[in-house]
Amino acid sequence: MKRFWEVTRAAAWLGWQVEANWADPVLFLAYSIAKPLATTLILFFMVQVVSHGNATRETFLFLFLGNTFFLYVSEVLVGLSWAIFRDREDFETLKYVYLAPMRMIPYLAGRALTKIATATLGAGVALLFGRFVLGLSISGAPDVLLRLVGVVVLGLSGIVFLGFALAGASLIMARHSMNLNEGLTGAFYLLCGAVFPIEVLPRWAQSVSLVLPFTYWLELIRRLLTGHTYAAPLVRLGDGALVGILALSTVVLGIAATAWFRWCEATARARGLIDWKTNY
Amino acid sequence: MTSREDLRETLRVNLAAVLARARVRVVASWRETSWVVGETVFPFLTMAAFVLVYRGLHAPRIYEAFVVLGGAMTAYWNNVLWSMASQFFWEKEQGQLQLYLITPVSRMSILLGMALGGIAMTTTRALAILLGGYFLFHVPIPLERIPAALGLFFLTLAAVYALGMIMSSVFLLWGRSAWHTVTLFQEPVYLLSGFYFPVRYLGAFVGGLAALLPITLGLDGIRQIFYGKEAHGFVPLVWIPPIEIALFALFLFLAHRSLLLMETLGKREGRLTIRGG
Repeated sequence: MKRFWEVTRAAAWLGWQVEANWADPVLFLAYSIAKPLATTLILFFMVQVVSHGNATRETFLFLFLGNTFFLYVSEVLVGLSWAIFRDREDFETLKYVYLAPMRMIPYLAGRALTKIATATLGAGVALLFGRFVLGLSISGAPDVLLRLVGVVVLGLSGIVFLGFALAGASLIMARHSMNLNEGLTGAFYLLCGAVFPIEVLPRWAQSVSLVLPFTYWLELIRRLLTGHTYAAPLVRLGDGALVGILALSTVVLGIAATAWFRWCEATARARGLIDWKTNY
Repeated sequence: MTSREDLRETLRVNLAAVLARARVRVVASWRETSWVVGETVFPFLTMAAFVLVYRGLHAPRIYEAFVVLGGAMTAYWNNVLWSMASQFFWEKEQGQLQLYLITPVSRMSILLGMALGGIAMTTTRALAILLGGYFLFHVPIPLERIPAALGLFFLTLAAVYALGMIMSSVFLLWGRSAWHTVTLFQEPVYLLSGFYFPVRYLGAFVGGLAALLPITLGLDGIRQIFYGKEAHGFVPLVWIPPIEIALFALFLFLAHRSLLLMETLGKREGRLTIRGG
């Protein structure tokens, strides 16, 4: 465990150097907040202008919270896959990581921590923007924030496990298959009801949505910050039940993702893909 | 060799470079099954999320068509950013840039090949979005207006990829912050260029600034071709083709000058072969 933490910490530091230290601080700050603010404003214009008065403030709050916290999903999933591609092909350091006396999972966990940090910065700025500039009624009570931290951490565990799975896939895929991982993030954006209620989805898609931990995670976050229930299929479930489902699905995801990553890793080694170059 | 034969040989070599650079992208992409899935199924799902947002908001149906068209154009913009503008940065990181520099071809030919290959790659994604939107979400697209829309679409692509060439020359010297810079041009441009709603709603000042990007005007014009006044156009449609042609010519000229300048600067400062710098 001590070794796991040492590797994770070193990888997080490395990730931070890649993310922040090598860029101009102003540029880095702009980069961290540009995406959440731009997507928030896109949704704001959608609601304000496009709906022609059909949408309420409550509707925008729903979209806003889902979109803001989904930033963690996109940052970590896409970020971990990119970490593999960049280490393998740009920095050509992946083979040295494999030569070092450590396992990849703690290394990737460290890289994920960096992504979580940048996502937290973006999400934090977006929440402040929503609360103070757009005047949204987001609860800031200390007990709510404390529970929110717990729920976010639990959800992040699942996101990181899924990130491991995509990083594993990246080990055996060419660089331009990054679209697959980014697209998968888009699929989650659709299926977990990040920006619309899942009852709008067709029945089969709702079934898929109810299998995803992110669906429960976003519902919990929305309930905590607004005090309302949102997703119709989850109305009967209390907060405790949602936490239980989220925890259970995270454990299942963790087992499956780790097994998948190990298989991908073994395949990449067997096929000689650890120092593959695919930037066409 | 006479000067005429020289010219013919130069043209032949440059054309071969264009085709070779484009071919790598097309062949390499289609060799990867995961790329085909990633380029067709998943982009459609992302676009579907926004269509469903509009349905959830009970927005007029025409806005669903706006988002489908915007989604298709987003694919090209991302291709310009990640596979055109920043490509020389990646190539430098991999030590491949120097190989381009020692070849007896114009850098513009390499970039043109990249652009054509990139357009071929991206058209798969754009088609998946358009066909998915049309057949699965039944968004209204008047088919009889497709030829006119295609005309403006090609003009827009020419100007957008010429802009990509300028950006590519700038990225030639860029260090590791290239990544962050490209990201800055992604979501904010989605917002400013009106990928998800008519740019007119952003107001004259912001819309005017956004119109400096050829993709903003192109998308605005394509929507006007399809939907007329309902598209809430920002610039009168008749102005858009000449503006796109002018932007294309200007960007191409600037790209040529900028490439020469950046290459000379890079050689003088010894930065063309520095990796990670």
